[in-house]
Amino acid sequence: MRKGLVAAGLAALLMTNAASAQTLNVATAGDQNMVDYIKDYLGPLFEKSHPGVKVVAVGTGPGDGGSQKIFEKLDAQKKAGAASDFDVVVIHQKAAGEMVKSQLLRKYRDALPTGKLVTRETADNALGTEVTGYVMPMFHSQTALAYNPDLVKTAPGSYAELRDWVKNNRKQFGYNGIKGGMSGVAFVTGWVSAFGGDAAKLEKGPYDAATKAKWEKALADLKEFNQNVVITPGNAGTLDMLNRGEIAMGPVWVDMFYTWKAEGKLPPNTRLKLISPGMPGQPMYYAVPATTKQDKLAAEFVALATSPEVQAEGIVKRFNWYPGIDAKNLEGKLDKAAWNQLFADITPDSLAANGKPFPIAPYFNDILESYEKKVAN
Amino acid sequence: MERPSLIGLALIAPALAMIGALFLYPLGFSLVSAFTEESGRLSLTHFQKAYELYSTDILFTLFIVIVSTLLTGLISIAIAGILTLSETPWLITALRNLYRWPLFIPFIVAAQCMRTFLAKNGLMNNSFVALGLMEPLQATSFLDWRGIIVTFVWKQVPFVTLMLAGAMASIDRATIEAGRNLGASRLRVLIEIVLPQVFQTLLVGLVLSFVTMLSVLSVPMMVAGSQPTMLTVDMAFRINSYGDYATANALGVISYLIAGTVAWIYLRHNVKQGAQA
Repeated sequence: MRKGLVAAGLAALLMTNAASAQTLNVATAGDQNMVDYIKDYLGPLFEKSHPGVKVVAVGTGPGDGGSQKIFEKLDAQKKAGAASDFDVVVIHQKAAGEMVKSQLLRKYRDALPTGKLVTRETADNALGTEVTGYVMPMFHSQTALAYNPDLVKTAPGSYAELRDWVKNNRKQFGYNGIKGGMSGVAFVTGWVSAFGGDAAKLEKGPYDAATKAKWEKALADLKEFNQNVVITPGNAGTLDMLNRGEIAMGPVWVDMFYTWKAEGKLPPNTRLKLISPGMPGQPMYYAVPATTKQDKLAAEFVALATSPEVQAEGIVKRFNWYPGIDAKNLEGKLDKAAWNQLFADITPDSLAANGKPFPIAPYFNDILESYEKKVAN
Repeated sequence: MERPSLIGLALIAPALAMIGALFLYPLGFSLVSAFTEESGRLSLTHFQKAYELYSTDILFTLFIVIVSTLLTGLISIAIAGILTLSETPWLITALRNLYRWPLFIPFIVAAQCMRTFLAKNGLMNNSFVALGLMEPLQATSFLDWRGIIVTFVWKQVPFVTLMLAGAMASIDRATIEAGRNLGASRLRVLIEIVLPQVFQTLLVGLVLSFVTMLSVLSVPMMVAGSQPTMLTVDMAFRINSYGDYATANALGVISYLIAGTVAWIYLRHNVKQGAQA
C-alpha cells in the first residue's frame, strides 16, 4: 500500500516536473529486474528514437499483489473521472483479466505492427478471461524439467514416461509440492492435465464444478508417484538439490535455471526438457490504460518493446526470458550463443507445442485443493 | 477493603487497552471466523475442511513438537547438570561459554544454516565422509522431520538450560554435598536431589519451548518439504494462496487447543504444588 502511494506520488511529481517535455509513465508489477529492464534498457532505447520523450519506470511490487496495485489505481482514477497518469502498464495474467472485465484497458493490439507476431494462447486468454486485443505479451516464463545428464542418460519425454522412470529410479526425482512455490504447482497442474482427461477444458473452460470428480485416478496415481520422489523445500530448494547431486531431475522455472547456471550455482552440463503433453508457464503483459492521454506514444513504446530485435536482445539475451512474440520471429536476430543457450534444450517448436497456460482460475483452485485432500493428506 | 483508586486504573489502562486491541480482539475475531459460515450461521464446516485437508499435518505437528520438547528437556538437564555438578573446571568453562550462542540466532537463520548442514551432500555428511567415518553412498538427507527436530532442539536447549542452570545454582548446595558425602554418584545426586528441587523451573521452560515451537513458521518451511508439514505452514498457505481465513483460523483454534492442553497440565501441577506448600 505504502509502496503504491510512494510510486503514485513519484509518478505525479515527475509528471509535473517534465511538463515541458513529453513524459511516458510505465508502471510495472514484478521484481526489481522488471524496473531495471525498462529503466536501463528499454527506456533509453525508446528515448533515442523519440527525441524529447522521457520514459519513467515505476515498480509496484512483486507478484499478483503488484498488479493488484495498478488495478486499484486505474480503477480509482476511472471512478473519479480522471485521466490515467500511467501510460503503459506491465501486469500479470490474473489482474489482466480483471482489468479487461472492468474496462480499464484500451484495445490496442490490432493496430500494432507487432500484433501479428503473437501466437501463444495466453495472448488471447488470461486464466479464462478473453483478453484478445487488450494485451501484448512482454515475455513468457516457462516451467520445464531440469536434469543432470551424468545421472540421466535419456530424459523422459512425457509425463507417462516420467512416471515409469520414477518407478525405476527411486528418490531421484524431486519437486516442491504445492506450498513451496510455483514450479511445483506447475508440475501438479501439468500432471492433472496429462492424466485427468480433457486438458483443453481446464485451459479454456467453461467451468464445471463436477469435473474434479474425474481426477480421482490421476490423483491416486500422483500419491503413489510421490512415494518415490523427494519433496524439496521450494523453487530454489529443487535447484539446490540438483546442484548438490541429491536429485537427478526436477521441475524448475526456465529463467531461474539459466540465471543460476550463469552464476555458477548449477553444474554447467545440467539440461532442460519440456515434456509432453505440456507443462504450464505464464506471461507478463504490456497493456495501455483506457484513459491515458498518450495512447499513441504508448502504442509506439509497446511496438518497440515487442519488436523482434528488442525481444531478442533485451528479453532473451539479457534477461533469460522467453520472448513474448512467437520465437520463430527471432531467428537470425540473435547471436548463435544466446540462441543456443535458450533454445538448444527446448526448441521453438517444442515450446509452441508443450508450453501450456495454467488452468482457468476456478479449476486451478480445485486442482490445488484436491491435491491437498487426496495426495498430501 | 480499599477503594479501587482511579489513578491506579488509569495507570494500567494503556496496558489493558493494548491487550484488548492487539490480543483479545483478534483472538475473538479469529474464533468467530473459525466457527461461522459466510452467511453468519454457526457451523463446523471449516473444521471439517481442516480435518479433510490437514489431519496428517495435525498429527505430524504434535509428533514434532512433543519429541522436540522431550529431547530439549533431556539435553538441558544434561548440560545444566554438568554445569552444577561437574568437577572438571575446563569442561564447565567451555560449556558455559558455548551453550548460550544459539539463543542469539533467529529461527530463520538457524533454518538456513541447517539447510546446508544437514543436506545429503551437506557439511555434516561431507565431513563424515572426509573423516572416513562413512561411505558417500551411505549419506542420507536429514532435511525432513529429523531436520525440523534438530533445529528446534538446537534453538531451544540454551533457553531451557539457562533457566535450569540458574535454578540449580540457587539451590542449597548442602543438599548436594550431603548426598555426595554419603556416597551417591553424581548422576544419582542429579536425579534424586537436584532435579526434584528445580522441577518447577524445568516445566516452565519446557512449556514455553513447546508453545514457541508450535508457532514457528520459518523452520518447517525452509528445512523440510511440504508433505507432511506443520500447521503454521498450512495456515500461511491457506491465507497467501486463497485468502481463506476461515480454514486458517480453524487450524489456529486447533493450535490453541494443543497449546492450551499443555498450559492446563502446567497449571494443574502448579495448583497441586500450591496446595502442598
